[in-house]
Amino acid sequence: MTAADLKSEVSAALVERLTALADDELVLGHRNAEWTGHAPILEEDIAIANVAQDEIGHAVLWYGLVQELTGQDPDRLAFFRGANEYRSSALVELPRGDWAFTMLRQYLFDTYEAELLPRLMRSAYTPVSEVAAKVNREELFHLRHSALWVERLAFGTEESKSRLQSALNELWPLVPQLLAPLEGDALLAADGIYPDPAELAAAVLGRLRTELNRLELTLPALPAPPAAGARSDRGEGHLAALLAEMQSVARADPAAESW
Amino acid sequence: MAEQHMAANSAPTEASAEEARLAAFQARIDAGEKIEPGDWMPSEYRRQLIRMISQHAHSEWVGMLPEGEWIASAPSLRRKLILIAKVQDEAGHGQYLYHAAETLGATREEMVDALLEGRAKYSSVFNYPTLNWADVGMIGWLVDGAAIKNQVMLAGASYGPYSRAMVRICAEETFHHKQGQEMIRRYAQGTPQQRQMAQDALDRWWWPAMMMLGPHDSDSPNTPQLKRWGVKIKTNDEVRQEFLDEHAPELIEAGLKIPDPDLRFDEASGHWVHGPIDWDEFWNVVKGNGPCNAERLAARRQAHDDGRWVREAMAAHAARQAPPASARAPRTGASA
Amino acid sequence: MSAAEKPLTGADTQWPRWEVLKKDSERKPHQAVGSVHAADAVHALLMARTVFARRPAAVSMWVAPAASIHAFTAEELTQVPAHSEAEGGELSRYLVVVKSTNRRSMTFGDLKGEVEASSVRAALDLALELAGEEPVLALWLVEAGSVVRSEPDDADPWFGPAQDKTYKQQSVYSSRATASKDAAEGVPR
Repeated sequence: MTAADLKSEVSAALVERLTALADDELVLGHRNAEWTGHAPILEEDIAIANVAQDEIGHAVLWYGLVQELTGQDPDRLAFFRGANEYRSSALVELPRGDWAFTMLRQYLFDTYEAELLPRLMRSAYTPVSEVAAKVNREELFHLRHSALWVERLAFGTEESKSRLQSALNELWPLVPQLLAPLEGDALLAADGIYPDPAELAAAVLGRLRTELNRLELTLPALPAPPAAGARSDRGEGHLAALLAEMQSVARADPAAESW
Repeated sequence: MAEQHMAANSAPTEASAEEARLAAFQARIDAGEKIEPGDWMPSEYRRQLIRMISQHAHSEWVGMLPEGEWIASAPSLRRKLILIAKVQDEAGHGQYLYHAAETLGATREEMVDALLEGRAKYSSVFNYPTLNWADVGMIGWLVDGAAIKNQVMLAGASYGPYSRAMVRICAEETFHHKQGQEMIRRYAQGTPQQRQMAQDALDRWWWPAMMMLGPHDSDSPNTPQLKRWGVKIKTNDEVRQEFLDEHAPELIEAGLKIPDPDLRFDEASGHWVHGPIDWDEFWNVVKGNGPCNAERLAARRQAHDDGRWVREAMAAHAARQAPPASARAPRTGASA
Repeated sequence: MSAAEKPLTGADTQWPRWEVLKKDSERKPHQAVGSVHAADAVHALLMARTVFARRPAAVSMWVAPAASIHAFTAEELTQVPAHSEAEGGELSRYLVVVKSTNRRSMTFGDLKGEVEASSVRAALDLALELAGEEPVLALWLVEAGSVVRSEPDDADPWFGPAQDKTYKQQSVYSSRATASKDAAEGVPR
């Protein structure tokens, strides 16, 4: 199906969901790009810059689908919405931390995408299935890379294992919010546009539990899954600080139509 | 007596053997052959190349920082992508150049240590701060524009790995220059704030870029020997003239004013003529007293220190998997 | 001792070096393009893709530890003694990479094929035969057992996406004439 086939409430739900997908990619890409020039070794500096470019590229694609539905320009969406209008998850907003934190966060997100994207490639909404295929192609390498790092750090030195465990203690409790549905996701699932959120969450958590146990890491207890729509709940202010910097040049000259 | 006689005879033989090797080496260069890793070369050639190549590598690596600072606030998604790609390329270029230096026997550990301990030089142009967003575009236009002139020349260098690294870099560097020009041209015709941003960037980057091409020929003692050995094909002033002739008119055409009151076009020679360069500032910055020298090295050191546990963890993991190091006598480490 | 031979003791190193062979297309052979520093073979392969496939085109990537490469300079190649038949011992396979031109290039040499012999000396003889009439200005014998290769299935996800990243390809940037004009007319990006 295409945009013309969508009922208005389904279209509204889809805009929310696409915005969340785009916002996650943009924020994560932004965090990864913070490593440029500061990575542990030259080759990995190049690697993380690639992951960052891929993710921002994915954000451009998902914002593009929003634009098809609402007419809103992707740059306006990225640079002129406040933290309370963003729909990104807390997992991607946290500061980059150390290399163990960044690689583990990447691994958690890449595993989530490894389950999400093949399902989205079967979306009844054609533009979503097409973008998902493009994104998935790049995600395959991301997962190879982040999985390699998590394994190396888990079985490297005492220090690397300890840092990885600290990172997991902080990140694992945020996974349920990443997987929690938005209010309109049920509607999208009913129309075959988006996968069933509960089934997706179970697949992601199952896969992660198996792998993290294999790496001999301890999984902290998970909080109860948040209510649908929890991404709008801005607890900590990491995103506000991030956007203040990210949007500073664009907002200083809002009349500029082209950069 | 007999030993003295023999000693007296062997010295000239050694000297003439060395002369013969030097002559053969020069003949290879004159014939356009590439000198490859493992080939005989004068120790001075090796020393000069390690110096040049590692300095070049350090410049790329440190050069990531002034522009990298602006990735976080790049004002459009496309500009953000472009800037990450550009800074990534700089890392990549450093990577190719460190490789070329390694083929001459320098190790990356030694080169990194030399840089972080302040013993190694890198291009002073990266010791200036990037004060507004348009600096990113101006660096692309001027600094990468200057770098391209240099790199195109060095792509013909006699040492194979350096030449190959330069050819690869040249293929990628043009994008850096063009995206910078595109940005600045757009801002020069854009909002009042954008125009002012672009002009301000030019005011601050023009002279550093001119000086980046190196001291005047009269102050470059290494150049004649480097030219004979096919490592440099043109002198600093020659390259600087090419840079000026190409970029001065383009900047003026874009609607910007170059901060050189003595700049003029000389009809007779068909060349642009620039005003005097403040070399005191250049040498001051080269010696480490530039506005950002300390900051740049501190950032590099911090990243290196923060990364130590990571490098060690990877090495520990690998040591557990791999069989013990081969008992075979090591070669000098094959390189391309 | 070069970095390639430093033992991995957990001391702070830049990791060993791995030479990279990249195949640009089905028509071209694997070519030596440079090296990467990595702690192990799989990581080296991922880093080779990272460093050398940022822009099109590639279909296959191989890496080999620098320490497993036997390199011969032009001068060494002119001094190869006649091969003696009486060399017993296990057969090993070697990849043969040859530099045959001084023409300006991004790559050092091309993969010519593989040989199998019971000694490096014998392998060199076979490699020179393999090179045939072409000039051999420098040559590598790469221990085949140490080479790690990308899979055919990796080609699309690893090398395909670079085609779409046009924002970093210089060909998409307008020339001077159109850029000034576009800027004057406020044409959006």
